Amino acid sequence: MRFALDLLCRLALWLLLAPLVPGIINRVKSWVAGRRGPPVLQLYYDLGRLWRKGVVLSTAVSPGFIAGPAVAWVALAGAALLLPVGSMWPEVVFYGDALLFVCLLALARFCTALAALEPGSSFEGMGAAREVSYAVLAEAAIIAALLALSLHSHSLALAEMLTPSAGAGAALLAAGLFLVLLAENCRVPFDDPNTHLELTMVHEAMVLDHSGPPLAVILHGASLKLLIFSVLLAESVLPIGRLAPVAGVAVLGAAVLAVAVAVGLVESLLARFAFQRVPLLLTTAVLLCLFALLAAWKGGGV
Amino acid sequence: MTVGAWLLAAAAVTVAGLLGAWHAPRLWLAVTLAGCAAALAAAVWVLAAGVPWEWRPGFLLGGEPVHLLLDGVSAFFLALLAVVGGAATAYSREYWPDAAHPRTAPSGRVWWSVLLLSLGLVLVAANGLHFLIAWEIFTMAAYFLVTQERSRREVRQAGWLYLAASHVSMVCLFAFFALLAARTGGWELGPLRGSTGLAPLFWLALVGFGLKAGVFPLHVWLPSAHANAPSHVSAILSGVTIKMGVYGLVRFSGWLPVPPEAGWVVAALGVASAVFGVVFALGQHDLKRLLAYHSVENIGIILIGLGFALIAAAHGYPAWGLLAFAGGMLHVWNHGLFKSLLFLGAGSVLHATGTREMSRLGGLWRGMPWTTGCFTLGAAAIAGLPPLNGFVSEWLVFLGLFGAVGAGGLPAWAAGPAAILLGVTGALALACFVKVCGVVFFGLPRTAVAAQAQESGPLMRGSMLVLAAGCVAIGLAPILFWPAVASAAAAWQPAWAANLHSAPPAPLVVLGTCQIALALTALGAVALLRSRVRRNGVVRAVTWDCGYAAPTPRMQYTAGSFAEIITGWFGWILRPERHVERPHGPFPTQAGHAVHTPETVLEHLVEPAGSAVLNFAAMVQRLQHGRLQFYILYLVIGLAGLAVIVLAGGVR
Repeated sequence: MRFALDLLCRLALWLLLAPLVPGIINRVKSWVAGRRGPPVLQLYYDLGRLWRKGVVLSTAVSPGFIAGPAVAWVALAGAALLLPVGSMWPEVVFYGDALLFVCLLALARFCTALAALEPGSSFEGMGAAREVSYAVLAEAAIIAALLALSLHSHSLALAEMLTPSAGAGAALLAAGLFLVLLAENCRVPFDDPNTHLELTMVHEAMVLDHSGPPLAVILHGASLKLLIFSVLLAESVLPIGRLAPVAGVAVLGAAVLAVAVAVGLVESLLARFAFQRVPLLLTTAVLLCLFALLAAWKGGGV
Repeated sequence: MTVGAWLLAAAAVTVAGLLGAWHAPRLWLAVTLAGCAAALAAAVWVLAAGVPWEWRPGFLLGGEPVHLLLDGVSAFFLALLAVVGGAATAYSREYWPDAAHPRTAPSGRVWWSVLLLSLGLVLVAANGLHFLIAWEIFTMAAYFLVTQERSRREVRQAGWLYLAASHVSMVCLFAFFALLAARTGGWELGPLRGSTGLAPLFWLALVGFGLKAGVFPLHVWLPSAHANAPSHVSAILSGVTIKMGVYGLVRFSGWLPVPPEAGWVVAALGVASAVFGVVFALGQHDLKRLLAYHSVENIGIILIGLGFALIAAAHGYPAWGLLAFAGGMLHVWNHGLFKSLLFLGAGSVLHATGTREMSRLGGLWRGMPWTTGCFTLGAAAIAGLPPLNGFVSEWLVFLGLFGAVGAGGLPAWAAGPAAILLGVTGALALACFVKVCGVVFFGLPRTAVAAQAQESGPLMRGSMLVLAAGCVAIGLAPILFWPAVASAAAAWQPAWAANLHSAPPAPLVVLGTCQIALALTALGAVALLRSRVRRNGVVRAVTWDCGYAAPTPRMQYTAGSFAEIITGWFGWILRPERHVERPHGPFPTQAGHAVHTPETVLEHLVEPAGSAVLNFAAMVQRLQHGRLQFYILYLVIGLAGLAVIVLAGGVR
């Protein structure tokens, strides 16, 4: 009973806080540009409105078009539940859960991309093709980062891997994981979440035909994914797991805020890259994570 | 009943099926299914008890004493044969009926029974000569099954390539068993781990069995054979017969000593097969050819597990070696299940539409909901996604590789890159199966045949559902299948048995619980979202295409465009051939752009080598022209040469 209650509290925390991160990013962007910008809580209003709205479905889609976003959302929520919050370990910790985490993210990608191909639109096809192709390099970077973390902590349980800092390679790992965060969450310079040109979009192109509650689920899932990556980045770089519970949560909150501000600054100061250059940037991320792995190796005295 | 009785029953009823195959198709179906069930019972018995079954009746066959053995390793593969064989047998009744194929259906049934019997015999034979005989029979039976539609030119070519490759493999195996018999003094097979002099023979076995398994770059025969065979045959070829190559490698790397480099080479071949297999798959437009390349990929994943297990055995790391081996072995089952499921699904599509060309399909979910569901489930499983079976075995292989990196030493240097490339393989497979499902089953039908596709009959659907249920079962309750993997591991490497007595080395119970929770939550979330959508009201409209009001099915994204980004990265090995027809004149009437990915290793490596040999032979042939004077001249030159040799020798 206690277990279920803890799990529900943790889940509620993740789900409620997730839409805050895009709000902070937008606030940073408007602040840099000297605009007033949308309210920080804008995404909450959007989600509420979408949840009540009717749905326009393409005549071509199967029932999987609605099932896809739901399964993707469940997979992301499951991945979030495997991460520690500050120094509070998740309810489920086992040897190898780090790889379950990676594969849950892959499941979310599979469902989103497959649902994107259902309406038979070329725009959505392009978006899905880009998403799954860039994910190949992102996955290589994440596996390299996990290898570095597991070498450093001598474990393969996410909570134990994230307890110490990443040691000598922390800066490299931070840079690599930050690039992966930008790519996987379709932020500038990989993708522009504010763009209105279908031909150049990645994530937004995949969800063009979604509307109403399924779109709300997709948007909430996207914000959850952003929070997951921010927490992963913060906890793998900083030794948050060693702090007292309250201090840990406070430091984690500050770190996630810093990541959001950094994303906002990158979006304000950089333009998106041409598609040909995206793989190069992602390869840089892979190399950074590989160097972090080498540093962990050296530090581990192997 | 004991194992022997079950096996005897399986053999007897399959022989009965063989006799009745020509005239009594219903009887054939019933007894073949019964035979598969009996073989499954025998295999489960051995795997559950962990005690091998051995039989030496004392009479000779072909001059050698009969010796049958069913231990953990062979029972593991026998179980796969029974399940996939049974499902594909039932499927073939509806897929290849006598009414549509009056000439080939009866002979196909006969060869099918021969194939199942000889595969079973390969697994239980413990005598080198009998192993070879059974191996050759199953190779030939598979040839006749592959070439059932031999009125088509590409089927004949595929069959010929298969036959040639199989016999290169056979030559290596002849050499392997003959040398083994010469060194040990008999054809009897069994554990000979002590005699280190036998280690170099492993390389012969690696080429022979590797060719059968379709390891990159020895896979050249596999795509065309699996694509052109009838789909139930493709299913058993991909699901079971290429696993016989894996069986050979596991069997003889366990029984015989292996050279110290063996594990490294097997692991490197595995990584190459995994990455290049999936990359070639991405370049394909033919549904079944694409699936065939994925077999190369999955054999690669199996060999990564086996290779690192060999490295662990050589360097003394039982903890992570066991995980890698367990992952590889479980992937044998998993790949057998989901790949035959996918081939049966592809066959169902082919049956309904008459085409394997993905760019002529689309929107099949409307007419074929069962096939769509089963194929999508198989696609998620092969992409290694939770909560299905492909994830469990890849997870175990990953645990082995991460363990190797953590344990340090020399293996760590190989395990790190292998883990990263395994992750890349998973992401590439995901991309490929999003493409396949999206283009074939979703969107709008691209042609009239796709629009009119009808669901296949109950036997075909039933066999797909059985295989899909297997995928779900291993995914949700992996712990139930651990004893089978453990007894295979104990039979393979008895030195590791101590690690097997305690609980499984990986938290399979927790993983299974997580998978069940994930599956149930996902179902709940889908139901909730659907009810919410229904309550809010649904309006149907045309797909959004930037306000363009009349999109046609031909404006959809194609399979080639979808894969273009990744195939562009790997253009150096794929070497795609482009055929561009540019529009001409102010009012162009036609234009075209087609991309075709050839079998690079075959066209750029094997065929040039083959034509070089033929050219050399043609050059030598010029010496033979029928003019007597020249023949006398050859004799004189030859005698002069001999004289020089004799005289030079005489000086010494």
